[in-house]
Amino acid sequence: MTIEKYQQEAKGYTMTTVMAEAARCLLCHDAPCSAACPAHTDPAKFIRSVRFRNFKGAAETIRENNALGSICARVCPTEKYCELACTRTEIDCPINIGGIQRFVTDFEQNANMDILKKGPANGLNVAIIGSGPAGLQAAATLLTLGYGVDIYEKNEKAGGYLTYGIPEYRLPSDIVDVEIQRISNLGANITYNVTVGQDITMAALKADHDAVIIAAGASVAKTLPLFADNPYVQSAVDFLAEVKSNPAGVDLPTNVLVIGGGDVAMDVDTTLKLLDVKNVTDVVYEEFAEFKASDKELAGTQKQGVTIVDGYVPTAVNGNTVTFKHRQLNSELTIEADKIILAVGQQADVTNLGIELENNELTHGGFHTADPKVFVTGDLAQGDKTVVVAVQKGKQTAEEIHRVLGGQN
Amino acid sequence: MIKKDLSIDFMGVHFENPFCLSSSPVGNCYEMCAKAYDEGWGGVVFKTIGPADFEIDEVSPRFDELTKEDTPFVGFKNMEQIAEHPLEENLADLRRLKDAYPNKVLIASIMGTNEQTWEELAGMVEAAGADMIEMNLSCPQMTSHAMGSDVGTNPELCKKYCEAVKRGSKLPMMAKMTPNITDMVIPAKACMAGGADGIAAINTVKSIANVDLDRKIGLPIINGKSSISGFSGKAVKPLALRFIQQMRDAEGLENLPISGIGGIETWEDAAEFILLGSSTLQVTTAIMQYGYRIIEDLTNGLMHYMAEQGVEHLSELVGLANKNMIPAEKLDRDYKVLPYIDWDKCIGCGRCLISCFDGAHQAITWDEATRRPTVDPDRCVGCHLCKLVCPVDAISAGEVVMKAGRVGTAASKQI
Repeated sequence: MTIEKYQQEAKGYTMTTVMAEAARCLLCHDAPCSAACPAHTDPAKFIRSVRFRNFKGAAETIRENNALGSICARVCPTEKYCELACTRTEIDCPINIGGIQRFVTDFEQNANMDILKKGPANGLNVAIIGSGPAGLQAAATLLTLGYGVDIYEKNEKAGGYLTYGIPEYRLPSDIVDVEIQRISNLGANITYNVTVGQDITMAALKADHDAVIIAAGASVAKTLPLFADNPYVQSAVDFLAEVKSNPAGVDLPTNVLVIGGGDVAMDVDTTLKLLDVKNVTDVVYEEFAEFKASDKELAGTQKQGVTIVDGYVPTAVNGNTVTFKHRQLNSELTIEADKIILAVGQQADVTNLGIELENNELTHGGFHTADPKVFVTGDLAQGDKTVVVAVQKGKQTAEEIHRVLGGQN
Repeated sequence: MIKKDLSIDFMGVHFENPFCLSSSPVGNCYEMCAKAYDEGWGGVVFKTIGPADFEIDEVSPRFDELTKEDTPFVGFKNMEQIAEHPLEENLADLRRLKDAYPNKVLIASIMGTNEQTWEELAGMVEAAGADMIEMNLSCPQMTSHAMGSDVGTNPELCKKYCEAVKRGSKLPMMAKMTPNITDMVIPAKACMAGGADGIAAINTVKSIANVDLDRKIGLPIINGKSSISGFSGKAVKPLALRFIQQMRDAEGLENLPISGIGGIETWEDAAEFILLGSSTLQVTTAIMQYGYRIIEDLTNGLMHYMAEQGVEHLSELVGLANKNMIPAEKLDRDYKVLPYIDWDKCIGCGRCLISCFDGAHQAITWDEATRRPTVDPDRCVGCHLCKLVCPVDAISAGEVVMKAGRVGTAASKQI
């Protein structure tokens, strides 16, 4: 097994090719791309800056609007947001906005730019539980507004799914580490290996802070009763975390069966292929027309040669042999695999955090909980569960706290 | 594949096609010129030959380019002077070229330092077999101020040196003009008075293409310094066409034989130079960027243009556009042409709206819901900036409207 392919990010733009892509942009009057970005990263403005060779200005636009600009550049399903709205599509194909954003944020890093500045201290402190994208963005926004921020992270590294989930070829750890370092430099105090509700109580957090944000995400793998206690089964999140932490140390067999059809399943599929697993078969509940994975992820997975079978649901499991039935057709499928990876979703674990969830999110919109001092953001708040929407929610939660607390001494 | 006769007679010499290498780095030795002939060029202006005692010592690096977005070579800056090979070697190359390619046109570009050397050089290149002489009165980057464009801006010197060349050789001779002058007609007339048979125009434009922002030095940097030098390529085409038109428009120069030079890359560029009065054409920058092989599309494209125009001889096209360039005060100012916006072609980018407001006359309104522009015919002055900025050609010339109180009918206007 070789890990080079898994670790190799696709080539980005050069100074010349990024200018070619920026020159394709029509620089629209009303900029539908910017209107379509949940995080308000303002692609119309930063692409125009690139077109006029103001790369530093472009980096400021991205960074000031999106504290995870380099991460979103790589993992945002842009075809659902800015690129879906792009007017250029009516001529040929949309501008590669993610690609331009990646170039600009790489430029920012190479130029050692330090764009976000800590606001003058207002004497107020906020605790944030979880350091995934929503928690990190909330921290960045609060810090620029002058708040003190303490982040409590249950793992030994920050980033949540960015660090432990998204595979290296799609989001290199170095990029995530730098983004977290920026927020750390801004003044975020991150405590690692601490589970709130277990190692420290909510009451203690509330006593020491003016507000608490629960940004714990949906980090626990769901399973299916059929697969309980099956030694051949591993969850997708566990598998991805294991590979991300030590790709060379993972021992993989020849035949792997994956069950699931979201972006996480696609990440698992592609990762397996890049790690030279010969036969990767992914059986998916949804049919292609109703697929949850983004087009980009699906296309990438198919390009790697993964066999994807759509519309089947598992009905019987006997050790490493799984039988599926088609949801509509009279059709049965039995697959024997050396390893089975379940990518059937994640759930939240908010034990002892004092909040009620339904289907892993608040039962109402917004970020408030019954406790006026406690807020919820990220996957636990209603809305899309993508990274860019997590950034949006993190920003909005911070702004809401600022509104409630007034931000004054 | 189309086959048309592209041959043309220029100053008494027959060219199989009008395309020549201009005197420059692209025609610096036998091997280069031979390859260009082999690939189909009709003529070669061998890189300018100077007197034996004038030593050429070039800098490194010596070029720079102007870019726009991702487009390279919008313009090109060159610091090379004249041929750096010894005089005898250059003359030997001319001899070999004429022997190997007797049916191709060989033009010797020369540059003297005084009347005597101009005269001597003219005699030498004739003896070496050249068919024609081009006098380089225009190189803007010579290390001697008695040579190059400093001479070309001095009509008395131009005339004197033309007379000297004519004394030295019986060959047809054209004088190559510098654009670093307000009125090219003056040196052109001086050269004709001195015996020149035609004019080559234009040489390069004195320039600084870029400045290194950290080091505060123009490009290219030579040991911490740079120098003004000649600019060429697509960006100078409009300047070349203007000078050529002005010469052809001058009294007494109406039939001036011209070899057109300045940013020719495509057959369309070539046709423009021909329509404004050029009989032959010279190319360097496009060759430096793409190689001699561009001759294939220059010749083939020009043949198709001749076929479309129903023309059998290229000479029929020479100068056809000259009479259609008239002084600004003689243009018809009685009407305006409203733009017509095709909403089916429009993709709603709003670039016309922005340019009309910020750069024209605030005559376009915008429907935010449908993302479509509308022209207010009263505010619109018919400038057509909107048409030029539209990325999908959705805007064209529409209704012709007479200005209030003017005589005549809109239908009679040739828009």
